[in-house]
Amino acid sequence: MISKEQITVYASGNEMAAEAARQIGYDVMGYYPITPSTQIAENLDLMRAKGQTDMIMIAAEGEHSAAGICYGASVGGGRVFNATSANGLMYALEQLPVQSGTRYPMVMNVACRTISGPLSIKGDHSDLMFMLNAGWIIFFAHSAQEVYDFNLMALKLAEQVRLPAAVAFDGFFTSHQKRRCKRFADDACVRGYIGIRREPYPFFDLEHPVTVGSYMNEPDLIQNRYELHLAMSDAEHALPALFSEYAALSGRTYEPVEGYHTEDADTILVLLGSSFDTALEAVDRLRVQGKKAGVLTLHLLRPFPADALIKACRTAKHLLVADRQDSYGAGGGNLSLEVRAALQRAGMTLSVKSRVYGLGGKDFFVEDALNLFAAADDPAAPDFDYYGIEITGPSACQTQSGVSVHSDSIQTQGETSAHSDGIQAQRGTSAHSDGCGSEFFAPLTAERTGLGITQVSEQDGKAFVQGGQLNATIKIPKRIAPGHGACPGCGIPVNLNLLLRAIEDPVVLLFQTGCGMIVTTPYPKTSFKVPYLHNLFQNGAATLSGLAEMCYRKQQKGELPPGEIVFIMVSGDGGLDIGMGSAIGTALRGHRLLLFEYDNGGYMNTGYQLSYSTPMGARSATSHVGKTQYGKSFFHKDMPQLMAATGMPYVATAAESDPADFIRKAAKAAWYAKTQGTAYLKALSACPLNWNDKPESERDVIAAAVNCCFFPLYEVEHGNTTLNYDPAAKNKKIPVLDFLSMMGRTKHLAREEYSAVVNGLQQEVDRRFLRLKERSENPYL
Amino acid sequence: MELFMAESISLPLINDNGYYEIRLESIGGLGANLCGKMIGELGLQCLGLNSASFSSYGSEKTGTPVKAFIRYCEPKKEIRVHSPVVSPHLLCIFHEALLSDESVLKGCTRDTVIVLHTSDAPCHAADRLRRLTARTGIGALYTLPAQELAIKTHSRINVVMLGAIAKASGFIPLSAAEEICAGTLGKKYPDALAANLAGLRAGYEAASPVPMPPLQDSFGNSTASDTVQAGGAAASNPVEPVVPKAADTIRPYSPAAADAALPGSSESADRAQSASSNAASMPAGGINPHFGNSVINDVSPSRQGYIPVFLQDKCINCGLCDSTCPDMVFQFKEGTYRGKEMMINCGLDYYHCKGCLRCVAVCPTHALVKGLEAEHPNKEWFLPNQELLRSPDYYEKTGADGYITSESYLTEKRMEGGEV
Repeated sequence: MISKEQITVYASGNEMAAEAARQIGYDVMGYYPITPSTQIAENLDLMRAKGQTDMIMIAAEGEHSAAGICYGASVGGGRVFNATSANGLMYALEQLPVQSGTRYPMVMNVACRTISGPLSIKGDHSDLMFMLNAGWIIFFAHSAQEVYDFNLMALKLAEQVRLPAAVAFDGFFTSHQKRRCKRFADDACVRGYIGIRREPYPFFDLEHPVTVGSYMNEPDLIQNRYELHLAMSDAEHALPALFSEYAALSGRTYEPVEGYHTEDADTILVLLGSSFDTALEAVDRLRVQGKKAGVLTLHLLRPFPADALIKACRTAKHLLVADRQDSYGAGGGNLSLEVRAALQRAGMTLSVKSRVYGLGGKDFFVEDALNLFAAADDPAAPDFDYYGIEITGPSACQTQSGVSVHSDSIQTQGETSAHSDGIQAQRGTSAHSDGCGSEFFAPLTAERTGLGITQVSEQDGKAFVQGGQLNATIKIPKRIAPGHGACPGCGIPVNLNLLLRAIEDPVVLLFQTGCGMIVTTPYPKTSFKVPYLHNLFQNGAATLSGLAEMCYRKQQKGELPPGEIVFIMVSGDGGLDIGMGSAIGTALRGHRLLLFEYDNGGYMNTGYQLSYSTPMGARSATSHVGKTQYGKSFFHKDMPQLMAATGMPYVATAAESDPADFIRKAAKAAWYAKTQGTAYLKALSACPLNWNDKPESERDVIAAAVNCCFFPLYEVEHGNTTLNYDPAAKNKKIPVLDFLSMMGRTKHLAREEYSAVVNGLQQEVDRRFLRLKERSENPYL
Repeated sequence: MELFMAESISLPLINDNGYYEIRLESIGGLGANLCGKMIGELGLQCLGLNSASFSSYGSEKTGTPVKAFIRYCEPKKEIRVHSPVVSPHLLCIFHEALLSDESVLKGCTRDTVIVLHTSDAPCHAADRLRRLTARTGIGALYTLPAQELAIKTHSRINVVMLGAIAKASGFIPLSAAEEICAGTLGKKYPDALAANLAGLRAGYEAASPVPMPPLQDSFGNSTASDTVQAGGAAASNPVEPVVPKAADTIRPYSPAAADAALPGSSESADRAQSASSNAASMPAGGINPHFGNSVINDVSPSRQGYIPVFLQDKCINCGLCDSTCPDMVFQFKEGTYRGKEMMINCGLDYYHCKGCLRCVAVCPTHALVKGLEAEHPNKEWFLPNQELLRSPDYYEKTGADGYITSESYLTEKRMEGGEV
């Protein structure tokens, strides 16, 4: 007899999602970390390390691939799980109709978060609403308990009607807040409830081979879509039985629509997610005042529970739908539009207002709910509006009215740019005339940076550097202002300053998403003193290609003065996992720009999940160490060699432990990027927080990485390799374990039980180094 | 974690929504996030209450201001609000320097019990808090030297604070705190449990109510020394053999200006307020035309007690410090050193120093040495950024940016004896 007993736990939505997935016993999770859903994969990885689940966890190099892994595994007959948020969902979006159109069930959790750009990590529903047309069942949970319950029901329903299903919930509010929840004590109870997965066309039945994903012409295609529609109808009809069976099992009763005091309400607020709970307090207060207020939320967006909604609103005179996203130009967010459409179909004529609120995780207090109720009842209030707009601006410039007392000192000191006339002409009515005429720094014109301290000359198409002495290059004004928010001891600004002090031409910077971007540009402040652009990290190199080509075109047409600008993309190693294709494509096209990678060996910005550059064996949030796992299970990616294989003119590695070498290579890389094509420079970058070592030790740790040959210093110029430093020749060679022992994330590898891992890594490091040595001695290798 | 219900205790106070609310104010690295979780779990597991807890989202980069929120209510009630705790019944401040941030004391009322970690004499803290909460008043103040106790007991500051919170709450028995500590930390890391329990008990015992004196003349004891360290000798007369070429262009750090622009003083906060409310709306697309304006951030809250101290007579101007500093602290100027024209290290911009001590580690001549910040109230070589065309009207105290954290990794790291 399987026990239906439940236990009380104190857990967040993400923890409940992971717990449900563990209990269900999924076969495969394909994922890519993105806040705020990452903890689901992290928790499952931790369970895996402890031997509590044997789920195959595949850390893809991006959400598009993660969705592909899920699709493949589900076609293969597996129970498949994924979790994502925001731009991760957007990046995976293309794959979602493939999953539904070929009718393979799976479950994906969406911890809802606002989509870029401008980038924000916090919660709203702007990501999820892009899924409405994907052919997926969509549950929406407003509590951590519902996250658990809906995860179980979603899979059961998905397999029943053969559609993929999403379980959505508020990022942070639901994903991160810990609450009292219940779960089944016995995994067998969960598995018994879900039942056995049936495969109508087993893919691996070699006696009956099937073709999945035909090319389809018009009469068939519409038929396929019609069947998808019918499946969604089936899902709708299956809901009552689904909910009642689960209620019998768990004691928790759900309906497609959950109302609170809606049965006799005059005014109803419609809210999705955690705000619903908050609004309950408002309803209680209004009811005390004798006002007939009610609130309702939807537990499903697809199939859309129109009938239940209509029923819940039958006494209402005023409805206000609060949307945590906007369908810009439509007069409401998607929830409003669909609620209006449903009520109109039922012939109901009550007043329905829409308010867009809480974007980017803006907190929703009980008072906000009361204000929305007031707006619903107010005949003078507009049908559609934003709620909670506060005028904010670049206050940090300290030059707005009444603040600045220094504004006159600037114009006299600001130097005139050689380019400024041309640029000013293009601005027309300048956007810069917005009241902040008084800046803290003089513009970094070519005259101010072109001091001739580091000079590059050409010989036979190759670059040679003169000067660049460490003390002298201090004179080059820094392109990045202090006051950025990097952790104490962070290697990113160190590497950027070493790079930029060697480049005397004006620079344009593009940062892919990552710590470097987050800590330098929190609005309304920026640490950049030079033109700067951010794009998401699967696309930075391509974006910079376009930006650079536009500059070259303007220069050609005489719209910009000639003169050399160095275009630099700055990315972490994570950005060169998900953005690998874009970087390689850019290098193959040969745009004149520099790709600069700061490699701290992990996705540090999201709390340190493994990257493909993380050392083998390193502990991370997605490669825990436990009785069944020793840390990351595969070797660090050899990105310079991947880039070198594109045939780009210049590839190099640099380390802050050798500043002279770094400056020389930075100057060369910039010269190649200006004159010949795409250049790539990679620097090892310390992360005291996640390497788990002391900030002051970082230069020594990086020196150790170089001396153990984990991070060899070399350059590849037009295909010819030069090894710049051979530690053995200098009597500095150390075992790779000496380097690993310096960091908290890898020091466990010193234990005897991990000697095979360390030996494997040592052999791989030695092999890579010997190959470089051979190459440096033979130009044809 | 699986839980076992106890008999429910009764809460001394609740707000209009029926909750007893706790707010922890800390900086990343002190373990406030975990402490908040333990308090939340304690409510449910050991007190028989319903509880919820969460941290300010985007929590811990080292040195980031972090807030954690806990709500308790009677067990039959659901916790329905998800918003941060605005008006706490119990406010716990993990780092005294945080008092310079106005938001830390926000929402205090005559019911609010404050637990403050201070290494200063309790009466000084009481005096200071009395001033800062003059308008609202507070219920009671408990202080303790938590850092010292953590070091003494080989535990972490968060368990010491947990003990103090239990005491100050008036309704959390020490045994309940011990139970949760054993449950959360002990199961995973039994070796560290004894020390953590010792820290917890030390916090419980040391936290004591401090009599709050009546408010005195508000011009009596300046609070300037609380936040910005008044500068001593300015750097305009550096000793031989360093001769900066353009000594007159060096703007020394001015204590008077710093006092006037005291971060966290009501004056600067009001100005910041008016700056934001008077500001024009955001440029289309959120474009930021104010290049380099992060320079007005004062990142000193990220420091954890230590600073680099500059002994200029030992400096050979090699520039290694500048090459390893992530925060553009070093102020070099053209000059001559031993007859050679070169860039001369003239001082440090402590507004932007996060105290990482990278520079101390690379300095070949020990011209930069590790010093306890408390022992250097007058930083002789404090030299604000020399590239500035004008001084900021005020420096805004910030730490490292909070962004995201992976709880599983960081929690383990901390408990395994990482930084804290």
